Amino acid sequence: MLKPKQMTRAVIVGHKNILEETVDALHKANLFHIEDFNEDGSDLKIGKPFESGSETSKKLVKIRSIASLLGVKDVAVEKQSPAAVCSQLDNCLDTLDEELEVLAEKKRVLEAELKEISSSRKELLPFTTIDLDLDLYRGYESLAVFAGHVKGDPTPSISQVTSSYKLYYDQHSGIAVIFVIKDKAAEVSEVLAKALFKELKVPALSGVPSELIAGLELKEADITRHMEAIDAEIETLKLKYADFILASNELLSIEIEKSQAPLRIATTESSFLIDGWLPTDQYSEMEQTVSAATNGRAFVSSQEITKPDIKKVPIEYDNPKVVTPLQEIMNLYGRPTYKEIDPSSLIFITFPLFYGMILGDIGYALILLGFALAIKKLVSSDAVKPLMNILIYCQISTLFFGILYGEFLGYSLASYHGEHGTTPGLIQGFDTIELLASPFAAGEIIGFPLHRTHLVMTFIVATVLVGLIHINIGYLVGFINENRKHGISAAIFEKGSWIVVEFGILLAVLGYLGMLPVIVGAIVFLIGVVMLVKGEGVKGPVELPSLLSNSLSYTRIIAVGLSSIYIASTVNLIAFGMIWQPGSPIGVMTIFAIVVFIFGHTLNTALSIIAPGLHALRLQYVEFFGKFYEGGGRKYDPFGYIRKYTEEK
Amino acid sequence: MVTETVTMMDPAGLKAIGAALAVGLTGLASGIAEKDIGTAAIGAMAENEALFGKGLILTVIPETIVIFGLVVALLSL
Repeated sequence: MLKPKQMTRAVIVGHKNILEETVDALHKANLFHIEDFNEDGSDLKIGKPFESGSETSKKLVKIRSIASLLGVKDVAVEKQSPAAVCSQLDNCLDTLDEELEVLAEKKRVLEAELKEISSSRKELLPFTTIDLDLDLYRGYESLAVFAGHVKGDPTPSISQVTSSYKLYYDQHSGIAVIFVIKDKAAEVSEVLAKALFKELKVPALSGVPSELIAGLELKEADITRHMEAIDAEIETLKLKYADFILASNELLSIEIEKSQAPLRIATTESSFLIDGWLPTDQYSEMEQTVSAATNGRAFVSSQEITKPDIKKVPIEYDNPKVVTPLQEIMNLYGRPTYKEIDPSSLIFITFPLFYGMILGDIGYALILLGFALAIKKLVSSDAVKPLMNILIYCQISTLFFGILYGEFLGYSLASYHGEHGTTPGLIQGFDTIELLASPFAAGEIIGFPLHRTHLVMTFIVATVLVGLIHINIGYLVGFINENRKHGISAAIFEKGSWIVVEFGILLAVLGYLGMLPVIVGAIVFLIGVVMLVKGEGVKGPVELPSLLSNSLSYTRIIAVGLSSIYIASTVNLIAFGMIWQPGSPIGVMTIFAIVVFIFGHTLNTALSIIAPGLHALRLQYVEFFGKFYEGGGRKYDPFGYIRKYTEEK
Repeated sequence: MVTETVTMMDPAGLKAIGAALAVGLTGLASGIAEKDIGTAAIGAMAENEALFGKGLILTVIPETIVIFGLVVALLSL
């Protein structure tokens, strides 16, 4: 539970003519983490991929391009028999390819037409304001035609140059068309230039522009209809072949993976050697699988794990099922190394514990619990599920602390008797049961429920104490790790010294309180520091202040918690104190108050995932892991494939 | 005529100002420190997504400053 799975290094040796069978069997078993072979400084050579590979990869490229054209998505479908898929594969692939090619070509042509239409429309649009037949713009011997944008009516200025002209001008769009005798063309052009004339190209079409545009619109609608029909056809193809495409994609991917396996394997002229790792408890299973597949002609042997190998051992977690979601948090930081304690089970307790201590509100716990359960049900993604499980664990803890603190959406459930009189709680008649005076702060009384807002000092001290316990568990785990890696003396000097230092400080504090001479504490403290210098060198004493800052860092448990309470109670105050008071007549303000209430608490709910989550996470990563954890282990990634769309052969 | 008015500082008000300064200034300090670390962390993550965990940790380290500020504020009130 606290250790990664025990691994065995295994080597499989055999003649090259059984390589394919061996690879097949290993792939099917999905157990063996192949160690990639490196040719450097070795007489052995990297193997050659199986011949079937190139043909398979061609097909795979084809099927993947078809899949992307059709937009086939990964969905859960009924598993198909590989034999059936295989027999259909070539036929189906060809017909599918052809049909799709035809459709795609048709679509391409239509798209080009659509583009053309839209560009001629753009050209025609300015001419609709004048709406002259386009043939009238050309074919004159003695007339020059100007068509374009001008600034202001050009009539007066042109009249000064000549009287033989015809002018159409649309004031709204600033389009002018001028027919003028050729002799005066140059002068008119000059005049127009002064009016900032911008020439328009006359489209090479004949007919009245507005009619032409109406025609184009009809044509466009027609083409769109055609394209929709093609899209529908593609959709039917997709529906018909989606299962087949998914299954054959999977099948071919598996084939490719197998055919390329020799690239990771050492070979000689006539033999092969596969080196890798697998969980120790599954060694005999793999041995049997391989020998069954090759009639005992492949030789499997286990190797001793040497010291330099320890760094390379791939890591597979070995945790009870409830703890597995927390492995995501471990992965985020880095997998443990082989000889290290796997702290997943520890953070399974402490992460939700700190989260709950921070949030501690029945209302938010119930909302987020419902949210997590709903997401878990609706989203089937493997990446989301563990996160939702973690959220559920956290909410259970939050619910527990919520009851302990007696809080519901920022309201206190029980009434509280303080210096300034009694504050009523949400539940009538539920009084705070006073138990004892707080040993940490004068005037604060511990009871049930615990009013965090009135017990700030007590909580600050209590959270630091919780922190000290957490940190010391860290040193303890560090001690075990160090003992495993470098022996007992290293463990005592590197990690044990911290505990001696802490003990020294504790004794000194007791001395300060007059229970025993201060000197005793000072001596123990100094012994601890000397041990620390021996264990960690100069860097040890430099780190000493971290003891203070680390344990004070745990006060964030109450600090972040209080900020959440204050946000929630401020929302409550604004909604049901300022906007509308319960008891006053119900009206528009009531609705407004409810809206503010919902909006505010939605915001705070979102914050309730982020703030306590990040802070609880940080306490694990920085304060806790800093004491013992190295991480950086390699992922155990067995050679094989988990079939989703096809059955195992 | 000039009259001299004697103003009295309310101790509770001064406490509140002190608490506000403690939280406000440390908040700014955390922000300034986290700004640099955060940008660097995101840059690193763009190169290698596996650095998310380390980046997150490094980014939230200065958060301790404002937590201390908050604690001081709570103690002074």
